[in-house]
Amino acid sequence: MGWEEVQVRGYSEFVRTAQSYHGRPIFALFCGDKDAEGKSWCPDCVTAEPVVRKELHNLPDESVFIYCLVGDRAYWKDPNNEFRKNLKLTGVPTLLKYGTPQKLVEEECFKAELVRMLFTED
Amino acid sequence: SVQAHKEEDNPQKTMEVNGLTPVPHSYDYDLIVIGGGSGGLAAAKEAAKYEKKVMVLDFVTPTPQGSSWGLGGTCVNVGCIPKKLMHQAALLGQALQDSRKFGWQFTEEVKHNWMTMTESVQNYIGSLNWGYRVTLRDKKVTYENAYGEFVGPHTIKATNKKGVEKLYTAERFIIATGERPRYLGIPGDKEYCVSSDDLFSLPYCPGKTLVVGASYVALECAGFLAGLGLDVTVMVRSILLRGFDQDMANRIGEYMKEHGVNFLREFVPIKIEQIEEGTPGILKVTAKSTTGDQMIEGEYNTVLLAIGRDPCTRKIGLDKVGVKINEKTGKIPVNDEEQTNVPYIYAIGDILQDKLELTPVAIQAGRLLVRRLYAGATTKCDYVNVPTTVFTPLEYGACGYSEETAVEKFGEKNIEVYHSHFWPLEWTVPSRDNNKCYAKIICNIQDNERVIGFHVLGPNAGEVTQGFAAAIKCGLTKEQLDSTVGIHPVCAEV
Repeated sequence: MGWEEVQVRGYSEFVRTAQSYHGRPIFALFCGDKDAEGKSWCPDCVTAEPVVRKELHNLPDESVFIYCLVGDRAYWKDPNNEFRKNLKLTGVPTLLKYGTPQKLVEEECFKAELVRMLFTED
Repeated sequence: SVQAHKEEDNPQKTMEVNGLTPVPHSYDYDLIVIGGGSGGLAAAKEAAKYEKKVMVLDFVTPTPQGSSWGLGGTCVNVGCIPKKLMHQAALLGQALQDSRKFGWQFTEEVKHNWMTMTESVQNYIGSLNWGYRVTLRDKKVTYENAYGEFVGPHTIKATNKKGVEKLYTAERFIIATGERPRYLGIPGDKEYCVSSDDLFSLPYCPGKTLVVGASYVALECAGFLAGLGLDVTVMVRSILLRGFDQDMANRIGEYMKEHGVNFLREFVPIKIEQIEEGTPGILKVTAKSTTGDQMIEGEYNTVLLAIGRDPCTRKIGLDKVGVKINEKTGKIPVNDEEQTNVPYIYAIGDILQDKLELTPVAIQAGRLLVRRLYAGATTKCDYVNVPTTVFTPLEYGACGYSEETAVEKFGEKNIEVYHSHFWPLEWTVPSRDNNKCYAKIICNIQDNERVIGFHVLGPNAGEVTQGFAAAIKCGLTKEQLDSTVGIHPVCAEV
């Protein structure tokens, strides 16, 4: 069946979407919001996104890749935002395998080798 | 070693002698590490720093009950880490009880949920397993989840869980395969008993538990299980904590007894039978006295075996490369540079003969070994005055000689023992025991009353002991200790 991508914005939409795909492997990339020109306020996210996208073809069959914009910079900097509180995210970009402790944070997302490892190994 | 010398110098001759497996002239890897535990990973990461081509092979043969785990070895998965977390869970239970005397009011009865604790612990362990894989990949260390065994000089066969075999060669090898729990060899042991390999991921509360053994593993597990509210019995063949200071060991035992752990002394199980299936089920244990003909029976939900650990050295093809092991124990004798009798094969960690089985020791040995191999260093691992802590309900920290060993080595007349009970301030208000915490130092009279043994029994013993270990390494004397002003009010000031 291959894999599919879903794009969401904000915490509630993320959780709803993840729940709707329960039972399938779910990978998620969290990035800062993009402006009208499509550029994110988060420079590391700008670097990481193409690296991650280049490895998407390694996703296992049936997987779902959720591309999630977390919010604007002020929202992200708030230490009590829902992503920090509930998903325990510590930085953007974060790439994770939902429901497992497997994740890559910030500069780790720049490394194609690590992204590939997250997508392909148990 | 004559054999090895020949192989190194005359690869052509060896090819003829061995026939099937030629000695390679250029190797796939500079270093292959067999075993991805505390020692193996430390060595591999260090070697990568010097730009060496390194491979780590790690594989967990599932337990008789089917338990398995990820990269990181015993300490991370089924040892120190989950043990300390569960010990902490038990301490928190005690703290909740104490808290009422300090004014906290809650009407609900406090209960413990095994699954909640176990899931949190396993989740943390999972993040460590993942962290190691990221680190290895990031440092360009090749990792394979495969069982490694020697098949010929400089050559290893790696078999993954699907049975696929691959051959690899390396200039040098480090064996860091660690140990696994020993079974009793009695009917029903493998079918019905669990070990520490199973306990920390047990998918159901163990219930009424019989712990067989008197090692620190046995006492620590018995301790936290009792602290979580379970009915625990410890079956001891002879003494507690063999190898540790026996006065301290007995104090630990007394404390556990007074705090609800049952002890069956001088018995060994001879048969385990299942009365009822379930998670947990009910097991019947038949045991025989070691001092007479008396037989006893008991029923328990879970039987935990903690009678010792055996090195994983018998099925890794060491005979194919001529590495000598102690046939009786399985341990590998090495020189003071962790080298086996085969010059290009080294060994570190719990499998070493006559060395301490501790994570920091394995890590230190691994790092220093690699620095000597690739960075021209000369420092050897110092196995003397290594501090350690037993995380029984009343924690015990020690560094240096036990009283018995000091007497044996220096003579009773030449040592002086200073000791004291103490009552932690935090225990006063909740009226906890005022005569159980205890500390002693053993001094060598002939050497300026140098402190050669440090023992403390009390809360946070590990934290207390660490600093004193550094002082002992610097040659601490009684006079220096006396002239050090204490911090007040803390246990360590005693």
